[in-house]
Amino acid sequence: MKRRALSMMLAAAMVASMTAGMAMTVSAEENTDFAGEELSILVSAGWMDNRYDATIERFEETYDVTVDLQTIPADQYSDLLQSKLATDSCADVFWIQSNPFAIESVIVDPEKYCLDFTGAEWESVMPEARLASCKYNDKLYGLQLWHNSPEYVMVYNKTLFEENGWEVPSTYEELKALCAEIYDTGITPWFMPGADGWQHQLTFFQIGGCYEEAQPGLYEALNNNTATFADNEKMLEVLNEFKEFSDAGYFGEDWIGTDSTNMINEFGDRTCAMAVANSSFIKQIKEETGTEDEFGLFLEPFGENTWFPTNPAGPTMFGYNGTEHPELVKEFFSFVTSTESLQEILDNSPSYTNLDVNDDAVEQHWLPEEEEFMASIPADKMTVSVLQTGTKYTNDYWMNFGQDMVSFCLGEMEANDVLKNMDTNRAEAAKTAGNEAWN
Amino acid sequence: MNKKKIYPQWFLIAPLALYIIFFLLPSFMGVGYSFTDWNSRSVLKGTHFVGLQNYIEIFTSEKNYLDGIGHTLMFTIVSNIVKIIPALMIAIILQEGLRGQGFYRTVMYLPSILPFVIIGLIFKSILNYNNGLLNMIFEMLHMDFLKQKWLSDLNVVWKSIIGVDAWRGIGYVMTIFLAGLNTIPKSYYEAAQIDGANFWQRLRYVTLPMLTGSIMINLVFGITYGLKVFDIVYVLTNGGPGHATEVMTTYAFQLYSKGQYGMSTALNSILLLITAVVGVFIVRTLGKQEVQQ
Repeated sequence: MKRRALSMMLAAAMVASMTAGMAMTVSAEENTDFAGEELSILVSAGWMDNRYDATIERFEETYDVTVDLQTIPADQYSDLLQSKLATDSCADVFWIQSNPFAIESVIVDPEKYCLDFTGAEWESVMPEARLASCKYNDKLYGLQLWHNSPEYVMVYNKTLFEENGWEVPSTYEELKALCAEIYDTGITPWFMPGADGWQHQLTFFQIGGCYEEAQPGLYEALNNNTATFADNEKMLEVLNEFKEFSDAGYFGEDWIGTDSTNMINEFGDRTCAMAVANSSFIKQIKEETGTEDEFGLFLEPFGENTWFPTNPAGPTMFGYNGTEHPELVKEFFSFVTSTESLQEILDNSPSYTNLDVNDDAVEQHWLPEEEEFMASIPADKMTVSVLQTGTKYTNDYWMNFGQDMVSFCLGEMEANDVLKNMDTNRAEAAKTAGNEAWN
Repeated sequence: MNKKKIYPQWFLIAPLALYIIFFLLPSFMGVGYSFTDWNSRSVLKGTHFVGLQNYIEIFTSEKNYLDGIGHTLMFTIVSNIVKIIPALMIAIILQEGLRGQGFYRTVMYLPSILPFVIIGLIFKSILNYNNGLLNMIFEMLHMDFLKQKWLSDLNVVWKSIIGVDAWRGIGYVMTIFLAGLNTIPKSYYEAAQIDGANFWQRLRYVTLPMLTGSIMINLVFGITYGLKVFDIVYVLTNGGPGHATEVMTTYAFQLYSKGQYGMSTALNSILLLITAVVGVFIVRTLGKQEVQQ
């Protein structure tokens, strides 16, 4: 009897221990243990800012991991990333300025370099228009969390304009006359942060609609290699207008050596009147300088432009295929796309007023200036995307084009040579990519 | 004969193997790749021999790679003059028994241990036109005529780079000269003084001939550093304004980052060739002089 009781107890203990073991196994599968691991993120300055700090902190606490955030100056990022990818030494998560062509031309071989997220739940968080910048050959590689505000249009000090009786210009001649008037008051008419290396060329590329309007079918022809940047009259016109402003000092005394560090204060102190910026920049000026001034938006009038800079693209994060922590990377992508994280990212971003995501639970903070401006643009003027994301291989040479623009303004190059260089660069990229249209 | 040697020759095997594997072999492979179309797509499509195409592209391209080569050579020459002559003078002064010379030596040497990134950040801030320290000092002293666009004016930017580079490098060059000066016997100077030689004559007939070794080391180091200059340009101007301060290595880096590895290695091979020719020339020339003395 005793023996029977003992065997019963032993059997029960065995079953209990096996059940416990099973429970532990199930638990481990559900909550993979990442304790002590490190997730590295390689990003260009301005793409994450502080808006991800709180979310990253929560991620670290939730998974007991550390995140190594490597923020690289914007003018050095592209070169550094390519070197890291080429030498198989990239961070676990890396960012690129993506567009529908960027995965092929920037990452080149996504199967080799990127984690495949196809089927991830967070795919549905992104609007359809943004997915084109995140997918390649029907596979999901990237996650793009970006705002849908008017991007890089003219931001101006409305109060300053009203006080001086200045009218918002809609043509190049009106803009020039206005800048001359502002310049005479000692205020920098148009703050241009040339030393950043990536901002000044926005004036050329954000008005892609006016190039397409001047030469219908231009985008398609550029993508099929049946048209060139060189000798394009409208582009030459815009470049020459830019140089005219540079020579006249309307961009400031040393725009080539000035970066955007002080741009907010320049607006707050009324030492500049206008700049090309995101609409949400208005929020930053008000919050950071405490100015009582009101601000407004208008379309950039270079090239007699009347087109809205439509751009369903933006900085996008990818998981590096060579990572030692693929599961942790996947967890990170899932983590940042939860409603709580999305709201946190939006709320902690001084430069966002909204987040372009399919999540109704996220509370957006659209500015009245943005809504007013968007309402003033006819829908048909929003149908052409900006030049850099509407044409292949263009965005890849963003920095080179910016350097050429500076050389042109310094008298070291001709306007058409700036455009020719873009053609040469695009041809090289196409050749490298094996694009038959360039053969 | 061999028995008289302190160390056996097989001691050479390990360092020689490391040198060949990690230096010579990659260098020759790089030269080999410069004759191919190696690029970021090669993983998918293979690498093909293209002969001299990359070199022809470098010398005929509209991208002004030749300017990059020219800038590199100019930097090499000017930066060495700007560093070596003042460093020699300072070393002589500090060797002459100046009070607090140990302190001065340390202060002079300190910049050379600072990382380039830190130097770049500090000097970009100091040299900023609108709110940089240097221009603000000129303003405070009512010397506005001295204000410059240090990093964005074509006529000034190279002077700024070379100036910052000299600030960083003079201490290092000076230290090598100090080591050389320490090896010159004092009796030579005493004999020269008895013969009535003044400072310049002692410098010309005693110091400089006895310093040939140090000069050669500084020249070889300086010239190879100048030819492969990258960091100081990258952190201060990144090749700008426009392309005004592009050098061979910044172009090579750009090409590499754009996935044009073949072109990049071609540019680096040219750099290797120039460095090798100049290096061998200096060592031979100064080596002969040393033997004659």
